[in-house]
Amino acid sequence: MAAPASADIVVIGAGIVGALAARRLAQQGASVLILEAGPRLERARIVAAFRNSPLKGNWMAPYPPSPWAPHPIYVPKDNGYLVQAGPYPYPAEYIRAVGGTTWHWAAQAWRLVPNDVRIRSLYGVGVDWPLSYEELDPWYQEAEEILGVAGADNTGSPRQHPFPMAPVAEPWSMRRVRERLAPTYAVVANTVARNSRGYDGRPACVGNNSCQPICPVNAQYLGINAVESAEAAGAKVVPNAVVYRIEHDAKGRIAAVHYYAPDKSEHRVTGKTFILAANGIESPKLLLLSASSTYPNGLANRSGMVGRHLMDHPSTSLTFYADEELWLGRGPQSPSSINTLRDGAFRSRHAPYRLDFTNISQVLNVTNDLIREGVYGAEFEKQLRWRAARQINVKNVLEVLPNPDNRIALSSEKDAMGIPKPEAHYAIDDYTRRGAEVSKADFAKIAELMGGTGLRYSAEGHFANNQHITGTLSMGNDPASSVVDGFGRTHDHENLFVCGTGVMPTAATMNSTLTAVALALRTAEHILPAKQAHAATTHAGHEADRA
Amino acid sequence: MNAPIRCLALLAALVAARAAAADNPDAALLQRGQYLATAGDCVACHTAPGGKPYVGGLIVPTPIGNIISTNITPSASAGIGRYTEAQFRDALRKGIRADGKHLYPAMPYTAYAQITDDDVHALYAYFMHDVAPVDSKPAPTRLPFPFNVRASMAAWNLLFLDGKPFTPDPGKSAAWNRGAYLVRGLAHCGTCHTPRNLLMAEQSSRELAGGAVGTWFAPNITADANSGIGGWSEQDLVDYLKFGHARGKAQAAGPMAEAVDHSLQYLEPADLQAIAAYLRTVPAQHDPADTQAVDRWGAAFDGIAAQRGTAFPDDAEQWNGAQLYDAYCASCHQASGEGSFDGDLPPLFHNTATGRRNTDNLVMVILDGIRWTDATGVRMPAFANELGDRQIAVLANYLTQHYGNPSAQVTAGQVMALRAGGAPSHLVALARWAMVAAVVLILAIFLLWRRRRRRREASVGRA
Repeated sequence: MAAPASADIVVIGAGIVGALAARRLAQQGASVLILEAGPRLERARIVAAFRNSPLKGNWMAPYPPSPWAPHPIYVPKDNGYLVQAGPYPYPAEYIRAVGGTTWHWAAQAWRLVPNDVRIRSLYGVGVDWPLSYEELDPWYQEAEEILGVAGADNTGSPRQHPFPMAPVAEPWSMRRVRERLAPTYAVVANTVARNSRGYDGRPACVGNNSCQPICPVNAQYLGINAVESAEAAGAKVVPNAVVYRIEHDAKGRIAAVHYYAPDKSEHRVTGKTFILAANGIESPKLLLLSASSTYPNGLANRSGMVGRHLMDHPSTSLTFYADEELWLGRGPQSPSSINTLRDGAFRSRHAPYRLDFTNISQVLNVTNDLIREGVYGAEFEKQLRWRAARQINVKNVLEVLPNPDNRIALSSEKDAMGIPKPEAHYAIDDYTRRGAEVSKADFAKIAELMGGTGLRYSAEGHFANNQHITGTLSMGNDPASSVVDGFGRTHDHENLFVCGTGVMPTAATMNSTLTAVALALRTAEHILPAKQAHAATTHAGHEADRA
Repeated sequence: MNAPIRCLALLAALVAARAAAADNPDAALLQRGQYLATAGDCVACHTAPGGKPYVGGLIVPTPIGNIISTNITPSASAGIGRYTEAQFRDALRKGIRADGKHLYPAMPYTAYAQITDDDVHALYAYFMHDVAPVDSKPAPTRLPFPFNVRASMAAWNLLFLDGKPFTPDPGKSAAWNRGAYLVRGLAHCGTCHTPRNLLMAEQSSRELAGGAVGTWFAPNITADANSGIGGWSEQDLVDYLKFGHARGKAQAAGPMAEAVDHSLQYLEPADLQAIAAYLRTVPAQHDPADTQAVDRWGAAFDGIAAQRGTAFPDDAEQWNGAQLYDAYCASCHQASGEGSFDGDLPPLFHNTATGRRNTDNLVMVILDGIRWTDATGVRMPAFANELGDRQIAVLANYLTQHYGNPSAQVTAGQVMALRAGGAPSHLVALARWAMVAAVVLILAIFLLWRRRRRRREASVGRA
């Protein structure tokens, strides 16, 4: 069957954000077409691929890139898709497929804290957002009810209505961490799109501890759930449609998008309104690729800000052995964290952070350590048991300030389809480094409270990438310094909107997906207001916890 | 006043008193009525999906066509608001509506016939006072000929309706009698679990020996150790009825999950114990083919390890049972089918789901999963949209072979039929043929009778 060549709304990118914007618009009666560069995946195949892969620690292993829509791969070696211009590497991982990168996320569905959107006014750093936390609140709620978010109330993010469900049962390891760090630190359940009970036809988490390669039972909300709900609402998805150009008319309105099928045949799709939701790297790439004689720097780029302000949440960490058996690996991979350091007057001097405890089984890491150390035989068995029971890791999740020099540009290298690859220019500034330095005292204190031995700090000056691609299409009121307005509409093209983590003007200290979904729902409402009052559609997901 | 008139007066006074009581019933009576309505699971059939309780409109597919449940709220225009208690009693126990027409036995009045007068009274009070009237009338039931002739049910009732309310057996305990009353009456277990004859009536001689419920199979729950629940403890039975799960034995799915969900889980512990006590004494119905208890088959087995290091075929239609199990089942039921350490995610061996020779329920639970009340209570995901007929057959045979009864087989054709809603019934055609046959028979008898009479008349004439 030929793909439709026109729709009221054309969405580029079938990830969680684009799909939920599409779903909301389709529910209002618009015809919606979603173009996705990558293929359609099936959960069971991913589960089988993960289980059957010898690279258990590499969460991209079950997601091999397709030749026509490559994504970055670093293990066993860098496939060179995301070109690193330096000076600091930005090894982002993402998935180009129907469902997008949340196929393998940790389901962290955090809200900002209210001051995150006013750090210029309050602390003299970064920029203010063009909207307040209070304006975001109902959209967070709607997003949380769609995703099925479970969480604790004391994480610093106020709310008007309860979470759709109670937190997932606390794993033993996290219970012991919470008990032993109290009262110095408050360890609380993470806010996650993971079912603590059956919700919206999906079952409760059963603790496979493989969230980030793949949730095998559909207990954690994924982009594919969003896509399927968009399809149920009437949206059409075209997989393997590699958009390579956005076409504007003489008045600067977007007229069409052009895509390649895997055989490189060219297709043109027209529409009334266009939503670019291809993630914080592919979306700016596409705007830059669409340069014309009228817009020589690319579309939506009168400000020159497309691709700039690239951010992430760099992490340093401490690994050690607790003085008791914790047995990480039971329950979800990332269940608990410390949230008291996400905001404060110190933000004028250094980056705020969350402190996050992993609950990933330590058996693989410890095995690799022992092999490296040359331990074998009975001693190996003994050491493996001892270390795997006690090893624990705490990392910081640091804010990065927006800096125009950190950016995604077009590389001179091209992919197999002849499309220029994205190129990351990135550095970690002193603000973030100072935050990392301050957090070392917390690491030491935590280790002390846990009776820690064998303390191993991450290498000096080394920051792990957390795959929270933020910035690059920042929203703002000033067309000279931002790409989109407070509703996600590009300043330069009246019918072109951007949804995704890219529109966030600052990165704060929390995983960015929920904020991107909330903003996208708000964008969808702006494009086509819901027929019934907003209040009537939300809270439908409130169901008292079943005894 | 002579005796008959005195009796009538007394009766009138009693009826008036009853009516007055029903007008202003006490809270305890209403509460009991509600409890009995829950035990009778009236809501299950008299509520459309997503509709208000007791407003009816549920389409009940039966072998003779779709029967649409009615509004039993006290609405005067659309429900049972104008029913007197006597009319209500007749509907429950005799299957006769207020207008005198017959109900179809999709309404389990053959079971409800056991309900005592006192319980009918409490039910009536509850429906009249505590259920909110809703003035919306579901579409009427339209069955094909000959079943659209409701009067035909009179003949059926003559054959199959035992109109006497439950009488306790003084030789048995109070608990047994209570259990028998609930099982045979309100809880109407036999409606599904007792096999039916050609005319769709329960075979009383084979009480609870197992029957079909649409695409599901309601198993033998007699006291037979192999074919039934003879090996279950009273606690196993109570757990199953309360939680829909008897650890190390069975889980409720399909219509039984609905029965636990809407009704049985709300029964008082003493009533569940009474039901269990009674079930354990139901005369055993043994099938010689059941060579050991349904819940004792199989053992832990890891078929997955052997798949490691081998690429799965690109075409998932070609995956073997272990590969399908790895991708779809092992995340919960674990590599060796042992389930979770606490039994909450059930083991697949020692499980009636894999131990039964009739594999329809195994196929159905893979297709539909297990859901509680609404979409929020997912106990097992449904795989109808993810697995094809052949894949389900390969997977189910892997399960029965390693974890269950190895003689139990599943075919792709069976999965296809169950997915489509089951094999079509021939009952309508059969009934029509039976009607034709009956007409032919009557005609033949009539002709025979006329011929004989003519002959007799002739012989009389000759005389």
